Amino acid sequence: MSRRRIRNILLKEWVLLFTDLNSAFVITLLPFLVVGQGILYIWLAFRFGGESMLTTSVFQTALQKLTEAIPGVAQLPGNEQLLVLLISQFNLFLLLIPTMIAMSVATFSIVDEKLSGSLEALLATPVKTWELLLGKALAGAIPALAMTWISAGVFLLAVSGLGWGDLTGFVVTAGWFLTLFLLTPAVAILSFMLGVTGSSRAKDPRGAQNTALLIILPVFTLIGIQITGIVWFTPLLILVLALAVIIADFISLRAAVRLFRRESIIVQWR
Amino acid sequence: MVIIETFGLSRKFGKTTAVEDVTLSVEAGEVLGFLGPNGAGKTTTIRMLAGMIAPTKGHAIVAGHRTDRDVEQLHEIVGMLTQTPGLYDQLSARRNLEYFAGFYPSIESQSQVEKYLKLMGLRERQDSKVGTFSKGMKQRLALARALVHEPKVLFLDEPTAGLDPEAAGEVRQLIRTLREEGRTIFLSTHNLNEAEMLSSRIAVIHTRLLALDTPEQLRRRFFRRQIIVQLEASDAGVMEVVKRLPFVQEIHEEGSQLVLELADSERNRPELVKAIVEAGGRVIAVSEKQYPLEEVYLKLLREENQNES
Repeated sequence: MSRRRIRNILLKEWVLLFTDLNSAFVITLLPFLVVGQGILYIWLAFRFGGESMLTTSVFQTALQKLTEAIPGVAQLPGNEQLLVLLISQFNLFLLLIPTMIAMSVATFSIVDEKLSGSLEALLATPVKTWELLLGKALAGAIPALAMTWISAGVFLLAVSGLGWGDLTGFVVTAGWFLTLFLLTPAVAILSFMLGVTGSSRAKDPRGAQNTALLIILPVFTLIGIQITGIVWFTPLLILVLALAVIIADFISLRAAVRLFRRESIIVQWR
Repeated sequence: MVIIETFGLSRKFGKTTAVEDVTLSVEAGEVLGFLGPNGAGKTTTIRMLAGMIAPTKGHAIVAGHRTDRDVEQLHEIVGMLTQTPGLYDQLSARRNLEYFAGFYPSIESQSQVEKYLKLMGLRERQDSKVGTFSKGMKQRLALARALVHEPKVLFLDEPTAGLDPEAAGEVRQLIRTLREEGRTIFLSTHNLNEAEMLSSRIAVIHTRLLALDTPEQLRRRFFRRQIIVQLEASDAGVMEVVKRLPFVQEIHEEGSQLVLELADSERNRPELVKAIVEAGGRVIAVSEKQYPLEEVYLKLLREENQNES
């Protein structure tokens, strides 16, 4: 029965999501903006920063970590090493897509229902709290994930289109796949769970959005850690990180259920 | 068979008591009108009975389930019409119903959706977005939503509030249909006429339960039964004759009307009419004086306010 109820929530959420222009825009266009921005930054850094960027201590450290992880990079000319370093950041940059979509979509998922009065009617059905929250989280996470994967493909096409296709062999590694197909789904679910939880606890849409800002900070931290060379995310490290996030997914679902106070929602919201 | 039973049901929010010590029972197939002013605890009581919030004291049993313990089972067998329709404006009427029907394992959703779209007169607009519906149509759809899983008990929280007279009339007609089908309905309202029109018994609440009885018995509690005899013209001779009748307990004149209290208002009526006619009075009509339920209701509330002060 739970599967039927979750599917029921998923289908309804998708109809609402794609009939709402704002949400549809965020889900379909925002990923391409992220890709476009990524490509632009790489091109700008390559075009105007050039090899001089490599002399900075930050990039030196990062490059050292990169060549340790992928020794073949050391054989490349300096400017191509820089390109590989910059393009390699994009797998973590992709994590911004599900988190940003979660910020925009999930944070309103419960608040909107509270305001329209449909939540009380929904809570009068036999739906379990975890079914409701997971259904709502998956309803956002699945399209966000699909868009992330499409964006990754578009990014690689753009990289090839700019004449850097030879370098993708250094980028599309086991770590890239692990990030894309294990870490990203785990992060997507976590972001949406946190978004939905924030939404269920918030007193108004603004409060929900403020909570959502917290979702994106860990992703920026990951990007920052790698680009500054503090840590280079090797496949093993990505696997460990992904497993940790998967555990966090389960914990966040349990926490979300405990934090979802049916009584206060029904009594305090008009 | 009793289907709703409450035992000292109480609910506090912080220091505020919303409902206090409500004990009542409702028979299966009965429509109970639940009357009270704004803030009297009607919605809180309904929410407790429907397992939406727990009582702080006492308990309730609905269709054999403790409302504070067997919440999931309870939600499968009760239907609830909340104060706001709570529908998804961007979805069609059919999709709204299909969505809510999808949460109940025991029903065949499509046929149920079909049945209630038809019953509520919404089949022609089934594919229109609910956002384009009038308030009355939304309320009918919300009623369909509350019924789609064939609940044993239906809780209606002010179903006609905010509707224009025509839409309110349509909703009342639907409730009448449901009553004729033998459904148990717990109808919260502050519309006294509506409560009297639709309910077999009426409960009046003002945090505490002030009264629970049939409308007729509630009237009797405050007003004695009076008979009105409409004469063609006032006649002192007739008045004298009627005064002397042994079963007349009280009499006064209001224009060409005689207002009487009889020992047995059913049995004594023919004798009364005979005596008037024999005394030369010309009787146009004999009826029972009707006290609006509103007077009973206001008296109950006044009494309660006096007790409080």
